[in-house]
Amino acid sequence: MLLTSVILVLREVLEAALLLSILLAMSHYLELKTRWIFMALAGGILGSMVYGAGIGTVSDTFDGMGQELLNATMQFAIYGLLLLVGILLILNRRGERRYLPLLQWSMVLAVTLATLREGSEVYVYLMAFRYQADLLQSVLLGAFIGGGIGFSIGALFYYLLVGLPRKRRLIVALTLLALVAAGLCLQATQLLEQADWLPAQSPLWDSSAVLSENSVLGQLSYALLGYEATPTRNVVAAYLCGLLLMTALLLLAWAKSRSQP
Amino acid sequence: MSIRLFLLVALLSTITLVNFIAALHGYRASMEEAQRLFDRQITGTALLLAALPIDRTAPLVVEENDLQAFQVRSADGQLLMRSDNAPTTPIGDVQEGFSEQNFSGFRWRVYNHSAAGGRSIRVAERVDLRFRLADEVVLQSVMPILFGLPVAGLLIWLVIGRGLASLRQLASELRHKRAEDLTPLTLAAPPEELLPLVRSTNALLERLQASFERERRFSADAAHELRTPIAAIQVHADNLANLLRANDAAAPESLRQLQESISRMAHLVEQMLNLFRVTPEHYPARFEPIDLHRMAREVITELYPAFARRGQEIELQGHAAIIRGDRFALVLLLQNLLNNACKYTPEGGRVVVDVKQQEGVVLLRVQDSGPGMPAEERERVFERFYRVGGDRHESRAPGCGLGLSIVHHIAELHQARVSLDTSSLGCQQSPGLAVSVIFPLQVSK
Repeated sequence: MLLTSVILVLREVLEAALLLSILLAMSHYLELKTRWIFMALAGGILGSMVYGAGIGTVSDTFDGMGQELLNATMQFAIYGLLLLVGILLILNRRGERRYLPLLQWSMVLAVTLATLREGSEVYVYLMAFRYQADLLQSVLLGAFIGGGIGFSIGALFYYLLVGLPRKRRLIVALTLLALVAAGLCLQATQLLEQADWLPAQSPLWDSSAVLSENSVLGQLSYALLGYEATPTRNVVAAYLCGLLLMTALLLLAWAKSRSQP
Repeated sequence: MSIRLFLLVALLSTITLVNFIAALHGYRASMEEAQRLFDRQITGTALLLAALPIDRTAPLVVEENDLQAFQVRSADGQLLMRSDNAPTTPIGDVQEGFSEQNFSGFRWRVYNHSAAGGRSIRVAERVDLRFRLADEVVLQSVMPILFGLPVAGLLIWLVIGRGLASLRQLASELRHKRAEDLTPLTLAAPPEELLPLVRSTNALLERLQASFERERRFSADAAHELRTPIAAIQVHADNLANLLRANDAAAPESLRQLQESISRMAHLVEQMLNLFRVTPEHYPARFEPIDLHRMAREVITELYPAFARRGQEIELQGHAAIIRGDRFALVLLLQNLLNNACKYTPEGGRVVVDVKQQEGVVLLRVQDSGPGMPAEERERVFERFYRVGGDRHESRAPGCGLGLSIVHHIAELHQARVSLDTSSLGCQQSPGLAVSVIFPLQVSK
């Protein structure tokens, strides 16, 4: 139980922690106040508990596919918010300090939604074991180890980004944002496949022997690059579309900001 | 970004990451070891069962604990013996070896052994047992880390605090350094990492000190060098005026203005020289017991003609008060305060000098019935060449803006405090000024 618990919690915590550290590093880059983070985390944690407690009701909608569809919608919404954050970061890259309230609220909403989504999964998982005293200790310990690894990687990742030379920091952060956002598209597509809104397909390849999803490195790659050991064609297409769209729009914004005096 | 917080979070994250990944590795290794151990155990049970002579028509049901189950079948598939928790249907794969299967509400690891005579022995063991053992092992190894993390956090916090103490000491020394104090920083045994910073700061302070010294010397030398030619010009102008008077010719207005300007310039040069003379860092003070009340009387007597010329009333109050001070500097202080009072008090006005000892200090207060000074100007008047209202001061009195700077220097030399307030001699239109100099009875030199 311990290993399952570690992997599940690590998967959820790492995704939110990496997103949080990228956005926090960008707040530092733009010299914004970081109080927003507490608001986003509090909102996300509270929301995840409410969502987790009402998961049965949500699941019963849309012919029993309500949870998958709502999660997919949230993933696409976070993708949209990250795209907006990326464009606003580019518009502020020379210290213009434009649209800062919009940028900050987009960050708050993105982190709130990510925490809500990932947190609700952890909440539902842990609540399932609350009456199983013999397993509870292992599950909680696993959750603690998974959470500890996730938060530690997030914290070190933040300091790594903040320590980068100022010129490179934005480029690196935008690249990471694009990769994380493409991973969100991939997950949303998987959820749509689970909900039978997209046809089920056989995997294009199986790379679990090279990099298992059940390893820490596998989970890190999943959170950062959207790594999937057995992806279907739809999932690969969604990942590439998400990545290309974001890259194209960010490049366009960059070109526009360069042409401005 | 706080260095302390950064180090705490980065170190705790690294410790957590390394320990937890090591715990996970330990878990996997324990799991594999448990797997091998249990596999050996059920293989042994299978071999033991294979060695039993069983020849029955009705299957023998043996009582067994909940954790293990077994079946023994004849070559033709007939069930010869089973544990009471095993089903009657065959468990496990047909092939020899290990497999996993669900029955009786649990997942089991099943070993299929083909014994002599074609008998098939299948021994099963609950999989969750193995996980529980591995969980137990990892729990034992991770628990101390979990409890140790807050302790490690606290220790790291304290150790970093200790490590940053020199930095805090340096910051405090810089914070408490007075603006004019350009002496080198003295950090007791600074750590290697701080040495370049201390050295650079001290080099900067040294350069600043040298530059201020050059400026001071230049101003003092310039004032000193100007003194003689100005005195000569003054003599020549007076001679010219005398000559014109001797020839019964009226002195032109321009000559009068020239004499006034020369006198102002001579005063300025004198004040500049006084200012640099009484700079606390360079003044060779000779402290001796002085009765400030008596000294005030002498200075008033010396300056009385100026007050009389303007029809002003001057009064000395108080009583004898002994302080340790430098005679020349204190006379200069009194002269400047009284000259200012005389200059800015209208004709027919009143000036009161009060000297008294009270509550461990000696108070010298010069009050006048002049126009006073707005509260917002009172800090700035101690700056060199600063005059309230600039050159357009409503008193129209000539001045160079150095008097109160000199007073401030001398007060500093005596560790005294100067404060400005409205005078008790003033009225609504003319609030007057009260300059108080509070001398400590003991001067540490």
